[in-house]
Amino acid sequence: MLIKLTGGTLYDPANAIEGKVRDIYIRDGRIVPTPPASDPVHRSYALDGKIVMAGAIDLHTHIGGGKVNIARTMLPEDHRAHVRNRTTLTRSGGGHATPSTLVAGYRYAEMGYTSCFEPAILPVNARQAHMEMADTPMIDTGGYAMLGNDDLLLQLIAEGAEQETINDYVAWTLHATQCIGIKVVNPGGINAFKFNARELDVDDLHPHYRISPREILKTLSLALNNLGVPHPLHVHASNLGVPGNFHSTLTTMDAVEGLPIHLTHVQFHSYGAEGDRKFSSSAAEIAEAVNRHPNISIDVGQIMFGQTITVSGDTMRQYANHGHAHPNKWTCMDIECDAGCGVVPFRYRDKNFVNALQWAIGLELFLMIDDPWRVFLTTDHPNGAPFTSYPHLIRLLMDRSFRNDMLSQINPDAASSSHLGTLDRVYSLYEIAIMTRAAPARILGLTDRGHLAPGAIADIAVYHQNDNPEQMFQQPMLVFKQGEVVVEEGRITRPVNGTTQVVRPDYDTGIETRLGDWFEQYHSIKLQNFKISDDEMAAGIGSPVTIHPCHGRS
Amino acid sequence: MSALKLRLRQSIHQRIDMSPFTPQRLADMRLTEIARLPLWQGNQKVACGDLFVLSGDDPQDIVIQSDSDRLDEIGSGMTDGSIHVEGCAGAYLGYTMRGGSLFVTGDVGIAAGCNMSAGTLTIAGSAGDLLGGAITGERQGMRGGKIIVKGNAGDRAGDQMRRGTILIGGNAGDYCASRMIAGTLVVRGEAGAKTGLAMRRGTLLLSREPASLPASFNDNGKHNLNFLTLFTRSLQNQPGFSDLWKRGSRVQRWLGDLGYDGKGEILVWCE
Repeated sequence: MLIKLTGGTLYDPANAIEGKVRDIYIRDGRIVPTPPASDPVHRSYALDGKIVMAGAIDLHTHIGGGKVNIARTMLPEDHRAHVRNRTTLTRSGGGHATPSTLVAGYRYAEMGYTSCFEPAILPVNARQAHMEMADTPMIDTGGYAMLGNDDLLLQLIAEGAEQETINDYVAWTLHATQCIGIKVVNPGGINAFKFNARELDVDDLHPHYRISPREILKTLSLALNNLGVPHPLHVHASNLGVPGNFHSTLTTMDAVEGLPIHLTHVQFHSYGAEGDRKFSSSAAEIAEAVNRHPNISIDVGQIMFGQTITVSGDTMRQYANHGHAHPNKWTCMDIECDAGCGVVPFRYRDKNFVNALQWAIGLELFLMIDDPWRVFLTTDHPNGAPFTSYPHLIRLLMDRSFRNDMLSQINPDAASSSHLGTLDRVYSLYEIAIMTRAAPARILGLTDRGHLAPGAIADIAVYHQNDNPEQMFQQPMLVFKQGEVVVEEGRITRPVNGTTQVVRPDYDTGIETRLGDWFEQYHSIKLQNFKISDDEMAAGIGSPVTIHPCHGRS
Repeated sequence: MSALKLRLRQSIHQRIDMSPFTPQRLADMRLTEIARLPLWQGNQKVACGDLFVLSGDDPQDIVIQSDSDRLDEIGSGMTDGSIHVEGCAGAYLGYTMRGGSLFVTGDVGIAAGCNMSAGTLTIAGSAGDLLGGAITGERQGMRGGKIIVKGNAGDRAGDQMRRGTILIGGNAGDYCASRMIAGTLVVRGEAGAKTGLAMRRGTLLLSREPASLPASFNDNGKHNLNFLTLFTRSLQNQPGFSDLWKRGSRVQRWLGDLGYDGKGEILVWCE
């Protein structure tokens, strides 16, 4: 079947198309070159005056895995207060901060998102995470496996294992957990917490293994580079949320010695310790460093005011923050000695100095980092705010007077100690398309999406022209998933299910000998049961894999 | 004007959410409109008039006649007026009630008076677990008002109770006043095992020593507490509790739960 989208105004940064009127042809779920005039068009959509972009990609959103379920269980009131009723097409669900799987999928699609990536999959929890994401309809999913606090890796580094061995272990983990990238959370810190350390800076030594986060970062980023995995090491840096932590963030950037890394939710890592309250913005230092290091990409992790819940693998920092829990309930726990988990509900208040400055710091980062290809639009859902606030965030970036109105409403001390009011920059639609489509696809190595050239999957979002970007991005006119219309005027019209995005770097299976011993001795399940096969993904879990190419092993 | 009556036509298999039938929600509605109100029965919507025989015209005075234990959330969120249940009630009777009076002649299900903040809830029969407690996930149970149960209460009566008074004429189950934050709870009969577990503050007044106390309660000796004279005299017009003043003001006192602030007190009248 041939589908034609006629007369839409395209914003397709991957192909350097900025606001040009072009037709798009879709056949068998993919975008195809202009067919010969003799081919009959079965269906066509007149999109004159409409804005056409590839489906959006969220590269950092907590939508699956144990911690999200803990958050859901911890805040039943969040679900009671936000109920989404069943319709003839969609199923019921609820929740605002951590919506149920079904609602998360529906809401993402209703905003024009077609692919989302869960950034913190504990290897031992991978099966559960993929099951949850398989239950998240409408979107393609993928995950990053967490390494860097597991005792095996720390032990390998401590005993001076060959980089090759670690490469094999990393590649094996990607295969076994069906993930597309590797994330490290507070390198070594979660593990050090279990040895009673309450902080671990980049060059501090782990109390037991006597290695530093710097070595972990270097080893893991080198491993991914050697393996040719497209997505660089996804780093949740040390000292999250600590005033003055921008030093750790800068040291982290230098620790990898020019290898590519992605620093996530950098807003939480850009704090100075100046001023009367010993809390200040260091967004300028961080932005300057990002501008200077072409090997670094970041996502912001913007906060928005209101009730949410913070979920993180960073037990060490979540434990330190538990006093701020609102409502007053929280948990920190170890997960099978693999890493940890901390869940702390949080309400960001605009009249609170620290919260207001956090808000401003996030926006400063967006506006001071020059290259939109290296900064991504996230709220670290749900840690900074639920993902449903993205349209509001886009308006803050695109509309300076609106931004300044908001700035005038926050805590005045925070407003006056921030540079935000002096920043004139506004994002263009083209730049928004870069940071929500083209750039995430590129940094994840997804060549089949995030753009509108022939060969791409026909994941397409069509928006009405609107002077208010918040309204525009809240309610797309049409969303196509694999060439089918799934959303019309912001409402689901066709429920579909996605696939799981994975990479498969080559490795020496001999590593399983070492791993087998480790599993026998310490793990709660056997190595063969730990691995998730493609068949299980397709038949049991219900989300078949889509394999994306690696660069090849160097 | 006569009381607005709802009589259940026949026994039901599914649970029904009765929260639409409170005086303030039915104010200014005609009987025909009330008969058309949609109610969920399982996964089907049915009109109120198909389930109930309706009569009367005063929504300030609602009478529900039912033998079913499946009518949930009767009087949920009510602010004024009165609801009189002739028969039984299901779960969450008077949930988040903020005023008015609610009376049930028979037994009621779990979580009666859950999260209520004002008003009077009277149960002539027995109540289920979590009487005056908190709905799952909430950190505070009953926040005010008065609950009177003539029969027995189930486990965890007054769980996370914050303020107000609960009077239980019969026995209370296990974990009575568990996680109590503040308020007053009286049991005329017996209280079960682990009474007062994780109690922070508040007063639990018992006729006899409970089946067991957590190890983290301290014996505080015998005391004459004058407030008891005032408190029991304030109940002199309360049927079933009007003779409590005769028990005097001398009580054995335990303090706890020491694992949780330890400012709660369990008082047992001395014989």
